[in-house]
Amino acid sequence: MLGRPQKILISLDLNGQRYELAVEPRSTLLEAIRYAAGLTGSKQGCDKGDCGACTVLSNGAPILSCISLAVEHQGDRITTIEGLAHGGKVHPVQDAFDLCGALQCGFCQSGMMISAAALLERNPKPTREQIKEALSGNLCRCTGYTKILEAVEVASGQRQLAELDPRPTTGSPA
Amino acid sequence: MSFGKKLNVVGRRLRKVDGLQKATGAAVYADDIKLPRMLHCKILRSPHAHARIKRIDFSRCLEHPGVVAVLEGKEIPTRYGVIPWTPDEQALAADKARFVGDEVAAVAAEDELAAEEALELIDVEYEVLPPLIDPAEALREQRIKIHEGSKQGNISKHVELSFGDVAAGFDRSAAIADETFYYEGSTHTPIEPHCAIGNYDADGNLTVWSSTQIPHYVHRELSRVLELPEARVRVIQPFLGGAFGGKSDPFSLEFVVAKLSMKTGRPVKCLFTREEVFWAHRGRHPMKMRFKVGLSETGRIESVDSKILIDGGAYSSFGLVTAYYAGQLLTGPYQFGAYHFDSTRVFTNKPPCGPKRGHGSVQPRFAFEVALDMAAEKLGLDPIEVRRRNFIGENVKTINGQLITSNGFLRCLDLVEKASGWKERKGKLGFGRGLGVAGSMYISGTAYPVYPNEMPQAGIQVKLDRSGKVTIFSGASDIGQGSNSVPAYLIAEEIGCDPRDCLVVVSDTDLTPVDLGAYSSRVTFMLGIACVEAGRKLWAQISAAVAEKWGVEAARIEGSLGTIFVPETALSMSFKEAVRLAEAKFGTLGATGSYRTEKLGGDYRGGTIGASPAYSFTAHAVEVQVDPETGIWTVERVWAAHDCGKALNPTLVEGQIEGSVYMGYAEAAMEEMTYLPSGLHRGPSLLDYRIPTSLDTPELTAMIVESGDPKGPYGAKEAGEGPLHPVIPAISNAIHDAVGIWLTELPFHPGKLLRLLREKGKPRAPVPPVEERISAAGESRA
Amino acid sequence: MLTLPPFEYHSPTTVEEAVALLRQHRGQVKVIAGGTDLVPNMKHRLFTPAHVVGLKAIAGLDRVAEEGPDIRLGAMCTIAQLARDPLVQKTLPSLAAAASQIAGPQLREMGTLGGNICLDTRCVYYNQTYFWRKALGFCLKKDGTVCHVVQGGQRCVAAASNDTVPVLMTLNARVRAVGTNGLREIPIAELYVPDGIVNTVLAPEELVVEVRVPRPEGRLIAGYQKLRVRASIDYPALTIAVAAKIDPADRAEWIRVVVSALGARPHLVGGLERFRGRRFDQGLAAEVSQVAYRQCHPLTNINVDPAWRREMVPVFVRRAFARAQLSGSGYFEKEGAQRTSDSPPPPNTPTQQTR
Repeated sequence: MLGRPQKILISLDLNGQRYELAVEPRSTLLEAIRYAAGLTGSKQGCDKGDCGACTVLSNGAPILSCISLAVEHQGDRITTIEGLAHGGKVHPVQDAFDLCGALQCGFCQSGMMISAAALLERNPKPTREQIKEALSGNLCRCTGYTKILEAVEVASGQRQLAELDPRPTTGSPA
Repeated sequence: MSFGKKLNVVGRRLRKVDGLQKATGAAVYADDIKLPRMLHCKILRSPHAHARIKRIDFSRCLEHPGVVAVLEGKEIPTRYGVIPWTPDEQALAADKARFVGDEVAAVAAEDELAAEEALELIDVEYEVLPPLIDPAEALREQRIKIHEGSKQGNISKHVELSFGDVAAGFDRSAAIADETFYYEGSTHTPIEPHCAIGNYDADGNLTVWSSTQIPHYVHRELSRVLELPEARVRVIQPFLGGAFGGKSDPFSLEFVVAKLSMKTGRPVKCLFTREEVFWAHRGRHPMKMRFKVGLSETGRIESVDSKILIDGGAYSSFGLVTAYYAGQLLTGPYQFGAYHFDSTRVFTNKPPCGPKRGHGSVQPRFAFEVALDMAAEKLGLDPIEVRRRNFIGENVKTINGQLITSNGFLRCLDLVEKASGWKERKGKLGFGRGLGVAGSMYISGTAYPVYPNEMPQAGIQVKLDRSGKVTIFSGASDIGQGSNSVPAYLIAEEIGCDPRDCLVVVSDTDLTPVDLGAYSSRVTFMLGIACVEAGRKLWAQISAAVAEKWGVEAARIEGSLGTIFVPETALSMSFKEAVRLAEAKFGTLGATGSYRTEKLGGDYRGGTIGASPAYSFTAHAVEVQVDPETGIWTVERVWAAHDCGKALNPTLVEGQIEGSVYMGYAEAAMEEMTYLPSGLHRGPSLLDYRIPTSLDTPELTAMIVESGDPKGPYGAKEAGEGPLHPVIPAISNAIHDAVGIWLTELPFHPGKLLRLLREKGKPRAPVPPVEERISAAGESRA
Repeated sequence: MLTLPPFEYHSPTTVEEAVALLRQHRGQVKVIAGGTDLVPNMKHRLFTPAHVVGLKAIAGLDRVAEEGPDIRLGAMCTIAQLARDPLVQKTLPSLAAAASQIAGPQLREMGTLGGNICLDTRCVYYNQTYFWRKALGFCLKKDGTVCHVVQGGQRCVAAASNDTVPVLMTLNARVRAVGTNGLREIPIAELYVPDGIVNTVLAPEELVVEVRVPRPEGRLIAGYQKLRVRASIDYPALTIAVAAKIDPADRAEWIRVVVSALGARPHLVGGLERFRGRRFDQGLAAEVSQVAYRQCHPLTNINVDPAWRREMVPVFVRRAFARAQLSGSGYFEKEGAQRTSDSPPPPNTPTQQTR
């Protein structure tokens, strides 16, 4: 294309697997993950770091891949939603999100679960305030966050699913 | 329907059929789709709010090495609109641009950057026209017409309806509230931006993948505008990342990717930037409303009169319906003595408004529920009490001819009254803290399809065979609410299989039956009835075959979660075996179900608009705290009780209640679509246009009421839009309770509240110390 | 998707190499630290450098240490790192408070101290896409000649929006930068100028490498308050830092108040010398807050009601002092007090409940 620098070969560690990708230097990490490596679980929501749908982990820390340069993350251990499950078993966060009804449209949830998983890694028994704080960079439009918070409490073993099932449906206050 | 039978699936908190797909990142959304040789399309948009398009010159653009094809409006000039009576849009504007962001031309290129660069090389000659931004000005203006063929200036739709004698009602009223309200425009901001891929293959078949909630209407419009037979057009809706009504129009990008694919012979994808989602809009109409509510001495609603100016933006979208809904959806849960409304939707040179969750009714409901409290206060009546006194009842017709079947509103009021400690705490929380309440009613689908026809509005097909696998074909759009799962639950309940053995094939116009789309909260109700019908046909066959084998009456046979049995006997077999018997007896198995509403609504022009086979009811109580030094108000908690008839899966229903409350709260707190005088949107991004984060969202308690509707599938009614309505007026009412200020304009900016507080003067009562306030609240909650 | 414009990427391993690259490509080069400011701005085509110089490969710029009378903060320390660092929490709690409220969790993991110090000024007419700005007719700061905030304005008033800076100003920090003439140290109060187009005195090829903050001695009260619409993600509508040195008789030796998210330069409230020697109490804080009120004039460069923001200045100056007072001997924790590295300092944002 007009005036475009040549593509460069970068090497990304995605979910413990090495990917050799030819990308332009201007490629964001999200573009590299989604379009070059074909891992479409991480999402484009807002283009510029306002919504969190693109959240991945870089060496365990949650970052916004849509405003990160792919070329700068060589040598980092990147974890995407596809890498949360291990040995055929989903991560407790993924299971809890499903069981608790935290997944409505699901679009924000890759980023949300990544942030939640990172939180539990650092702080295995977070308070509700701490959960809200850790997820406050992930916008959700469907759930109002209520079931997301419950799901993280369940995943951290601080709330029993049985409390939620059967939940009172005739109106005693929570 | 089937109220006596023990339920095995319905009513249980089961996983969704697609939950783990979403949880593992495996669910494929439109932008996840990549086709061989796919091109990327970008759309050129008007920088002017109002301008004639004189000439478009692509010559510089075509020299860009990455550009493969270009497109302009003249090539696909056929007008369309989601409502067939108001087709006023073109895929690409050919004559005029009517708002900043209006689509004017398109480019297909090898990659997105090339397409973006190429847009800069398109030269458009505009004749700039004066923009009409303020709806009152647009209404007055007679010379400048946004739609030049219009015979009514810039009026999009005017509706005036009258029921009973409002003047006489006001004469009888002991207390009247007469107030002007303003509801600001807001937009849906689904986290997924619009995305479409068009692929025109060698056989002359067009496939369009689109993040749409109305694949059927898109199918029809694509066929019409592109002049292709419907049988050669296929619309597939992949997993969709949120809609809320923002994806229920046919959009430019769908036509453009299709046409560019036809021109290039290659697949073409267009993904909107977040900014472009703001241009697409179709969100909440700003409404300026004057409401007059008169109450008798005993608090009965004598008369309600409203005059509403609706800012429609540049195109009609669902506007014809909006103008009706602004009045037609208010006539429950309370009985009105007399009712008159006059609503006018006006075109302006801004992105077009359309249906956003609670289309056309959230705004008047806000105004009415606050006006009701205002009038009740004059009589010294408690807000919950006045609502109870006006309860319209069950199995009644509203004043405008709508038939209410089940009605759990009183139970909703009871629940929020108890949960909020209303009786013990209202009026006793001290200055700065308050409780508020509001109610609402909403439709479970409309009584008419968007284009008139006698065919079903929802349908289902089920295939099952000797493997025990059940495949359900559903045309319904899952926008996150769970309509992929509901057919599995209902069919499994009817035929006794395990829902995990069901595959639900969805929203593909080649494969699935017609469903009108996910709008007006129709899917659970209508699709559900179709599912029950199909399920019963299959059960009739299965139970007949099993009955023959066991030598018992078919009526004694039951099925539950993969086992077919006769209760209290040893007779039992697997679902799979039962199907084999049925397949052997009846041949290849399959059944359909369909639903069409009966004739409903008042016997007058527009009487069907607002008519629905069943209505949901909601009540919210809200506790707020106001900081009088800053005007900042915070919601302590929202108690939301919603009558959904029957919760087919309580987790999904709660999710809808919680999401709805969140969205209503967001509109009260921070969402606003505002424009510069030129018509340019002030902040089309998720940074400038704010939606609440997890730290901003109040704690909420969702409570389900099940009134068991006689018409709904297992008694179910809607839950997706109704629960949004009351939180906004409840917040306003609570703020009034807290500090004596009525907030009548959205959003409730702290600056506004602070100014009003300062104007008002000293507080009514001294502020108790913090510790006292907290313990008082705590005790009453024990 | 918003694309990035094309560029060559460089990854120097020393500060000298980085400075040399900045000099070599002068006029066509930008530095990227965390990218949280530069990348969105490039997507908006506010910057289209042909060369981008990344700093991640330069070792040694991300340390927090005590040295002599100073706390040394490396420019490549992330914001999250500063918020969690035990030394920062103990000795510079108002900085930890400010850091913990910058943006949102992911942005804090990415953004750096140096990046925050050099944060581009912001304005609703500037931080928009190329299409939007072209539809507007551009602006004084970028591609145009008209200021849409101040009618007829000839000087850009885009808002300084960096939250660490007001705190660092109250604590007399010094910024160390390396350029073609070597290292220089700039007192932070002298770093900023009231020009929204370039609001620092740094030369184009100068790289901020470190911030040094004198370790507070004696009774130093330091407080921070941030006003924003949402409790996360948002840039500040007001960002206020206060500090006061109190003598053993509870009298003020000096008082500093910095209010930012106004114009292009964070505003150090002037005229507070008159309070020297006065007994430091809530009443004095209220008088100080009125002085701040008279000097602060929020503008329409930020999309939060400027008249309301002005009314909030004295409220939040008072609250910054009040909350600093409440902890006993200033904002300091008692010696040896535990704080988990994950819990943020007590939230001071007004959208939180006060119990």
